[in-house]
Amino acid sequence: MGEPFLLKYIREADQGEYEAYVSRGGYEGLRKALAMPPEQVTEEVDRSGLRGRGGAGFPTGRKWKFLPKDPAVTKYLVVNADEGEPGTFKDRTLIEGDPHRLIEGIVIGSYAIGARQAFIYLRREFYKGRAILERALAQAYAQGVLGEHVLGSGYDLDIILATGAGAYIAGEETGLLESLEGRRAMPRLKPPFYPAVKGLYMQPTALNNVETLCHVAWILSGGAEWYKAQGSPILVSVSGHVQQPGVYEVPLGTPIREVIALAGGMRPGRTFKACFPGGSSSAILSAAYLDVPMDYDLMKLDVYGSMLGSAALIVMDDTACMIEIVARAVEFYRDESCGKCTPCREGTVWLGQVYERILRGGGQDSDIELLQGIAKGMTGTCFCPLGESVPPAIASSLRFFRSEYDHHIRTGTCDVRAHAEG
Amino acid sequence: MSSPPPTVTLSINGRTVSVIKGTTIYQAARGIGIEIPIFCYHDRMPPLGACRMCLVHVANAPKLQTSCTLEAAEGMVVRTDTPEARAGQEAILEYLLINHPLDCPICDKGGECPLQDQTYRWGPGASRYTEVKRDFAKPVSLGPVLVLDRERCILCWRCVRFGEIIAGDDALKGFERGFGSNINTPFTLPVASKFIGNTIAICPVGALTSRSYRFVSRPWDNRTTASVCTLCGVGCAVWLDARGDDLTRVRAREAPEINDVWLCDLGFFGHSYLRHEDRLRQPLIRREGRLQSASWDAALDLVASRLRSAGSRVGVLAGPRLTNEDAYVAGRFFRTVVGTAHLDHRTDARAGSVSLDVAWGLRAPIAAIDRADCVVLAGCDVTEEYPVLWLRMKQAVDRGAVVIAVTPKALEVDRDIAHHLVHRYGEGAAVLAGLQAAVAGREPDADLGGVARGRLALAAKTLATAQRPLVLAGALALDAPDGREIWQRLGDLAARWTSTPSVMRGRGNAFGAALAGLLPERGPGGRRLEEAAGTLAAAWGATIAGGRGFSSPGMLEAASRGDLDVLYVLGTDPATDVPDGRQWTAARARVPFVVAHDAFLTATAATADVVLPTLVLPEKDGTVSNIEGRVQRLRRAAPGPGEARGDAVILSGLAARMGHPIAYSAWEEIFDEMRTLIPGLEVGAVLPLAGPGPESQPPDGVRASPRTALHGDPSDPNPVRGADGDLSPEATDAGDSLVLIPGSTLFDQGSMSSRSRAIADLAGAPWALLHPQDAGRLGITDGDPIVLTAADRSIARRALVRPALLPGQVYVPRGYDAAPLNALVDASRPVSRVRVQVLAAVAGAGDEPEGGR
Repeated sequence: MGEPFLLKYIREADQGEYEAYVSRGGYEGLRKALAMPPEQVTEEVDRSGLRGRGGAGFPTGRKWKFLPKDPAVTKYLVVNADEGEPGTFKDRTLIEGDPHRLIEGIVIGSYAIGARQAFIYLRREFYKGRAILERALAQAYAQGVLGEHVLGSGYDLDIILATGAGAYIAGEETGLLESLEGRRAMPRLKPPFYPAVKGLYMQPTALNNVETLCHVAWILSGGAEWYKAQGSPILVSVSGHVQQPGVYEVPLGTPIREVIALAGGMRPGRTFKACFPGGSSSAILSAAYLDVPMDYDLMKLDVYGSMLGSAALIVMDDTACMIEIVARAVEFYRDESCGKCTPCREGTVWLGQVYERILRGGGQDSDIELLQGIAKGMTGTCFCPLGESVPPAIASSLRFFRSEYDHHIRTGTCDVRAHAEG
Repeated sequence: MSSPPPTVTLSINGRTVSVIKGTTIYQAARGIGIEIPIFCYHDRMPPLGACRMCLVHVANAPKLQTSCTLEAAEGMVVRTDTPEARAGQEAILEYLLINHPLDCPICDKGGECPLQDQTYRWGPGASRYTEVKRDFAKPVSLGPVLVLDRERCILCWRCVRFGEIIAGDDALKGFERGFGSNINTPFTLPVASKFIGNTIAICPVGALTSRSYRFVSRPWDNRTTASVCTLCGVGCAVWLDARGDDLTRVRAREAPEINDVWLCDLGFFGHSYLRHEDRLRQPLIRREGRLQSASWDAALDLVASRLRSAGSRVGVLAGPRLTNEDAYVAGRFFRTVVGTAHLDHRTDARAGSVSLDVAWGLRAPIAAIDRADCVVLAGCDVTEEYPVLWLRMKQAVDRGAVVIAVTPKALEVDRDIAHHLVHRYGEGAAVLAGLQAAVAGREPDADLGGVARGRLALAAKTLATAQRPLVLAGALALDAPDGREIWQRLGDLAARWTSTPSVMRGRGNAFGAALAGLLPERGPGGRRLEEAAGTLAAAWGATIAGGRGFSSPGMLEAASRGDLDVLYVLGTDPATDVPDGRQWTAARARVPFVVAHDAFLTATAATADVVLPTLVLPEKDGTVSNIEGRVQRLRRAAPGPGEARGDAVILSGLAARMGHPIAYSAWEEIFDEMRTLIPGLEVGAVLPLAGPGPESQPPDGVRASPRTALHGDPSDPNPVRGADGDLSPEATDAGDSLVLIPGSTLFDQGSMSSRSRAIADLAGAPWALLHPQDAGRLGITDGDPIVLTAADRSIARRALVRPALLPGQVYVPRGYDAAPLNALVDASRPVSRVRVQVLAAVAGAGDEPEGGR
């Protein structure tokens, strides 16, 4: 295991400046890439074992290989910088702290797939990140990193910075493309609209996450072997009831317990109760699962039944009411459902109403069964993953914290805080 | 020979079925009679997969699949009836209903509602939902036609996608998101569409309803009649629904060769004039200067006696509102019993116009439009004139076809037109000449008619590579001062592909009038009278009036000279239809006796000597012909008012009084007689277009190419002007006047449309279109009331200020009877010029918002 490197320069005040970035070895990866045939760049990324950091964990090199090789076909690279999963803020950290790393990764990726235009779809609320990126992009153009003849090579690339309009669904890749094309963000039908086949403007498109492309810059700079030797680092956004919430770089597979320790541990006098290991779309895990490794495949195992997702670890201590937590998550999906498909649009609003009623003290004995029934109706029936993200929190909270539901429904009150303080 | 398409074999509910590769599970199941519930899927649009109603179980799939989006694959094992699939369907229906008001007892859709039907068939029976339902303000009025109830809406997105995919007008859109998602227009403005009725038809709930049908009837109380819409010339198949004696609504009837499953809003909402209180119920005879009610006997006796004495000095102006059988009987009656040769249905054609020398209609099947790879629209304002044909063109465009529009007024479908060549009126021929030269490799060296040479060159480049072009010429081209040369240029252009341009002229049953022989010197089937006279005389047992027949402009001229004793008007309103209103006025003033068959007291009828109340087409049985020459069955959907009679019945009555009975038991008998004279005539047959022109020339006759037709009809009393687009003598002293472009619009306020409330509302106040540059110079802002003056005549309209035409011109649509376009036209000049002024504010007119509509 090597030293953390993704965040190595993140606190350097001048890291966003081109000169400083170059003086710290920046754009070396790009120079190396441009000296290689594009397929070899893809091969290098593939060999590194890098998996997409947007949440699905799909191998990046393989994704690029889906795109047609024919140079006559217009291809695009689109950066998903619409970081919106509750509890996730690593991409924002990278954009604000190391913008040239992202640009370098974009140029390398675009070169690898043969794109002449790349688009950054930036979350609307990232006003600071936008200003930083605009400045970095201008510098990159001025220094010949972008535009015609990238770094004196025969390769041309333009990067277009676009912002969303404030919808979570635009983070879903096809919804993002709809929004980028100027329409209401609603997911497209797959098939036939797999981005690698029919993506932006119906052209083959590689869609990559911000962190993924930053990894790419490092991989080309240090080589796939060096990268693998670092233990496949991943950025975890730690939030909630820890002493030092923030972004932490750990090797893939680090147990939850260790990540919490890195973040300063629990607040004094409080004990760990539960966590979302991969954002609010992942199933909640209880204290018995603190040693689960934060890994794409292992977390999905039946014994855990959760997922790493965007590696957003939301930690809750013994003062947290699980009904309130889940109700809050349901509200989020209710408000962010795009409205396209029935189960997501109607199921989330119904769930929200039931949770609200329970929290108001109007719970009924039949409500548990009702919640399970609504959640079941949404499972496997939704158009896209948004609606499918709701049932795990409900099912897992009922699995671990059924007694809290029962207490709420029976008494109309919450006893969590009383227990924690008593 | 192409090899048969590859197939795949799968099993659905245990039954094995082979389908063409690419078929969806939903379609495959439907093909073998297995019903799968759907809401968002509509078979004229690509699958969406939004409602999730059509979930099925597919072996080895990790979860239920939407059958509307899933393509059948070899060996697939599908079940629509497993407990999982049933649970999925029930869950979706339960979700759909939690926020649905379930106000079926007062909902127009109740009884024909897919949501209602599918809830009965697949629903869970009871809902577990006890919370408060979503609340939207309702109903929302979205213009003269559409009323929206967002609580009933299940967000299937069909209406939104209709606007995106079928009509291309993006009339309705989704707003907000999640459970707040709702369909609307931007800012809840009146919906901007010519096809919005279709969204009501495809709405699977009662969310979109029509103002005209709201709370009018329950579906089971409607009596449905399969008939044809005759309001434009497309001849869309319709269902006419009536309750008691009242037509309640019009629906599209599936006709793959014509309108597929769509209609335009004129078809949907343009039939409510039927029961209007202004309908004529009794014959009227002018006595002491006033039209007064009379008996049929008195009216027919009077007309018969005047016809008898007038003989060959009778002019017959027939119109597009007759059935084929009416028109045929009219031809027989006037040519034999009355003995006149002067019959014409083309009352709106300009004297000397090439329109009078060519057969009207589309020279390609309507169904072939979507297969064209290039459509040339020369002065053909397709969405205003033949709207449903646009839906076909839109499909062609979506398949890669390019549209080249050469037109003096920009078309509203601009975004689907690759080359929009908007030129100065009267210079269309020059633009086409440039286009033609450029196609032949000689790039234009100057701008032509106001069209930049670069744009011409680009359009020519596209045109040169076309394989299956469709060339359409409309009234804006053919009746333009250079219409004759435009026609010649289009003919030459189309000849590159051994094709001929189509004459996009004629509304209603104009094509049936031509087929039946309501043209000078043409008999049934468009045969030249001099050839057919013998056959006709034998069939009709009477001699056919000989001599040259006047065309419609010729008749007016003759009447003004005192050469006609009777003008007989059927199914048309020449006072507002003829290009120059003064010609009608002069004719009327001089001709001693005018008879009008009409349903309303039109401007013509109001000055007639005898007015005979007629049935309108939806009240008649028989056949009509459409723009491609297709003969279709028209069925009576409602009785006429009062004593109104069919046109053929009236003419039979006259014939009997004149001693030469022409009696038929019913339309079928007339039709059978027509069949003996018109080869190939059958219901459903597509007949060659009848009229003057090369097609109907005798084989040994002079083959009049468009070029030789330059000499025009020698019998036409009006001088035929040259083809050089001669805009003088006035061009020099133009001053502040603007060139008048006589146009037309789908929604107008004519005798019928002004009495169909929705259409009158859609039409709005009479308008005239000005370029912002002219408007600015004249101190006119959008929406201002303006006065257009030509010589001593003027009309008031509202200014519509848009850069949709080139400066120096004003576009004025016909069809507004209260402010008729033909008051401005001077037919003795190639182009008319008008002065435009803001209507001065008058005290007491303060209820008009300043500068706005």
